[in-house]
Amino acid sequence: MAVGRVDMDAWLAASRLVVCVGAGGVGKTTTAATLALCGALRGRKALVLTIDPARRLANSLGLKEFGNEETRIDLSPLAPEGEGELWAMMLDSRSTFDALIAKIASDPAARDRILGNHVYRHMADTFAGSQDYMATETLYDLVTSGKYDLLVLDTPPVKNALDFLESPGRLINFLDERVLRWFLHPSDSSPVLSRRLMFGTSAVVYRLLAYVFGKDFLDDLTTFFQDFQGLYGGFVERHQAVVDLFRDPATSFVTICAPNESSLDVAVFFQEELARRELPRGGMVVNQVHRCEGEEHDATAVLGALAEARGEDLPPSTVASVLARLGMAHRRLHALRVAEQALTKRVREAARGGGFFQEIPRIEGNVHDLAALATVGEALFTPAERL
Amino acid sequence: MADRPAPADPLKSLLDARLVLVTGKGGTGKTTFSAALAVLAAATGKRTLLVEVDSQRPAFTPIFGKEPEFAPSRLKDGLDFCNLRWMDALMAFLTSLVPSRRVVNLILGNRMVSRFLDFTPGSQEIVVLSALAEQVPKYDLVVADLPASGHAFSLLDVTRSALGLFRSGPVRNRAEELRALLLSDTTRAALTALPEEMVVNETIETGDKLRQYELIGHRPLVFLNRATLPTLVAEERELVRRLAEGPLDPLQAEFVRAGRWEDELEQGTALSAGRLTEALGYEPIMIPPAPAGGSPKQIVESVAAHLGRQVGVTRRELQWR
Repeated sequence: MAVGRVDMDAWLAASRLVVCVGAGGVGKTTTAATLALCGALRGRKALVLTIDPARRLANSLGLKEFGNEETRIDLSPLAPEGEGELWAMMLDSRSTFDALIAKIASDPAARDRILGNHVYRHMADTFAGSQDYMATETLYDLVTSGKYDLLVLDTPPVKNALDFLESPGRLINFLDERVLRWFLHPSDSSPVLSRRLMFGTSAVVYRLLAYVFGKDFLDDLTTFFQDFQGLYGGFVERHQAVVDLFRDPATSFVTICAPNESSLDVAVFFQEELARRELPRGGMVVNQVHRCEGEEHDATAVLGALAEARGEDLPPSTVASVLARLGMAHRRLHALRVAEQALTKRVREAARGGGFFQEIPRIEGNVHDLAALATVGEALFTPAERL
Repeated sequence: MADRPAPADPLKSLLDARLVLVTGKGGTGKTTFSAALAVLAAATGKRTLLVEVDSQRPAFTPIFGKEPEFAPSRLKDGLDFCNLRWMDALMAFLTSLVPSRRVVNLILGNRMVSRFLDFTPGSQEIVVLSALAEQVPKYDLVVADLPASGHAFSLLDVTRSALGLFRSGPVRNRAEELRALLLSDTTRAALTALPEEMVVNETIETGDKLRQYELIGHRPLVFLNRATLPTLVAEERELVRRLAEGPLDPLQAEFVRAGRWEDELEQGTALSAGRLTEALGYEPIMIPPAPAGGSPKQIVESVAAHLGRQVGVTRRELQWR
C-alpha cells in the first residue's frame, strides 16, 4: 500500500496556502497553529487564520484572545535568532463584511445606505454562510496583500463538509443580475418576459414569497438590492479569484481527524469530496494517537525491582498497588492502540492517493503554549507514510 | 430565568421534559448521549422521538443499523427516529401554509425561490426548527441531536433575530411560536463535554451565551463524558512520578506512560468537574468511558446502561433490535 515516504518539510516548502478541514474536536485548530508555527520556524512569514469563534486558536497559542486584526506572536522564546514570523488572526465576519462593503462601494453615500440597511444588518450577523464566505474574502485580501508567504486556514467543524467553498458561489448566485432584475424591475426586461412576469409563474411566486415572509421584508430586500447592484461586479471578480486560489498547485488541503470512528468517517468523506472537486489534497493527519507496542502486561516482571528500589521509603502497600495499577493501565492502553490501528487502517485504504498520512502521538498535558506546539510540530514533520 | 435553581435530579428532569436539545463541542459525544437518552426514555415507558437535525450523513445510521428518514420511523416499541432534512422540512412548511400541492411544487421548482431561500438569513433554520416543533405534541419526549455548539447557537438564535428581520407574515408568527417553545418550562438543553481544558472552556462559554441571549428557559445541564474519578492516593502518585524520572527501558517507559495517562485523565475529570461546577453553579453529571474499541451501538448501550442505573432501569430493558 505505502510506497516511499513523504518529506513533510518539502511539502510545506511547496505550499503557500494550507486549508485544514475535519470534524470538530480533533485538534484541527492546534494542527493549523502548528503548521504556521513550523513555517515560521523555518524562516517564513506565516499567518494562521481561524473562523472558529471559540477562542481555540488563541488558547493553543497561549493567548487569552485576539480579534479581527493580524496579531504577531512573539517567537523569541523558541527561536531568538529566527528570521521567520508567526501571525494569527480570528475572523469576525461582521466587521470583515463591513470593511468589504466600504471597499467596493462606489461612494460614501452608497456605503452608508448599505451598512444601514435592515436586511444587510441581519444578513451580516446571521446569514448561515457569511462566516465562511468572509473567510474566503479575508483570505483573498491576505493573499493579494503579499505580506505572507504561508497562510494556514482553520475551517469551522461543519458536518456539511466543504460548504465554505460554495458559500461565495451562493452569495454571488443570489446577487446575480437576473435575480436583481427579477426583484427590482419585474416589468422592464423584455416585452414577452415582462408579461410572463406580471401574469405568469413569477407573479404567483412573488406574491407567495411576499405572503410567507411578509410584504415588509420583500420591500426591505428590494431596497437592499437597489443599493447593492453596483457592487455585483466586484463580488464576481473576487469570487473567481478565490476559486482559482483554491485550485492553485501551491494550495494544499489537509484533512485532520482523531482515532475514533466518527471523525475518521468524516475524514474519509472529506477525502472523497476533495477528490471529486479536484481540489489539491495534501494529506491526512491523525491526532492524539496512543502508542503502546508491548504485548506484555505484567508490571511486576517489567518494573518490580525498580519500583521496590524507588519506593522503599513509601508505605509497603504502595509498590504492590502501583504495579497492579500500571499493569492494568498498560493492558487498557494496548487495547486502545489495537482498536485505533484497526480504525486507521480502514481510512488509509479509503484515502489512497490523497497525499501523506501522518500520526501524531498524544502528548501529555494540554497544548496551550508555543513549546507544546513545537513538540507537536516535531512529530508532524517526521517523514510520513504516503497514501 | 437564569435564577431558577438546578433540578434536584437532573437526569429525571430531562426525562420529564417534552423537548430536550442536545449540543456540545464537536467530538464530545452529542449523538451518543442523545441516542442513549432516547433509548432510556423509551424504556421508562415514554413515547420518544430521537431527531437528527438536517444531517447529510446521519450519525444515527451506524448506531441503529438503518437510516433515519424525514418521517419518523420505528426503532422499537415507544421509540421512533427521524432526520429533519431541510428540503423535506421546506416542503412540509409550505404545505402547511399553501393548501395546493400544485402551487407548492411550483414554488419549489422556481429557481428564484431556491436562491431566495439560500440567501434569506434564517429562513432555513426557521423551517427546520418548525419541523422539529411539529413533532413535539405527537410524543411524550422529543430528543434533538443539534449541531456542534457554535452552529447550534446560531440555529436557536434565529428564533430571536428573525423577529427583527420579518416584521409580519407567517414566518414571523412561526418564529414567535418557536421562541415560546424554547422558553417553555418543558424544554431543556443538555450540553455534552469531555474532561479536557478547551472543551470545558467552550462548554462554559456556550452555557453563558444561552443564558445571556435568553434562548432557553432552563439552564442547560452538562454531561461530562469519559469521566473517570481519581483512584491513585498521594503516595502512589509519588511513586509513579519517581518511576517516570527514569532511566527506563522502552517497555518500562510504556508502563509508566500508561499509568500517567490514566492518572491524567482522572485528574482532568476532577479539575473539569470543579471548573464546570464553579461556572454553572451546579455539578455536571458524570458518564464513565465506554470500553475501548466498541462499535457505535455498543457505546450507546454502555452510556444508556449507566444512565439507566441512576433511574432503576436494567440493561435488558434497554435492548433494541
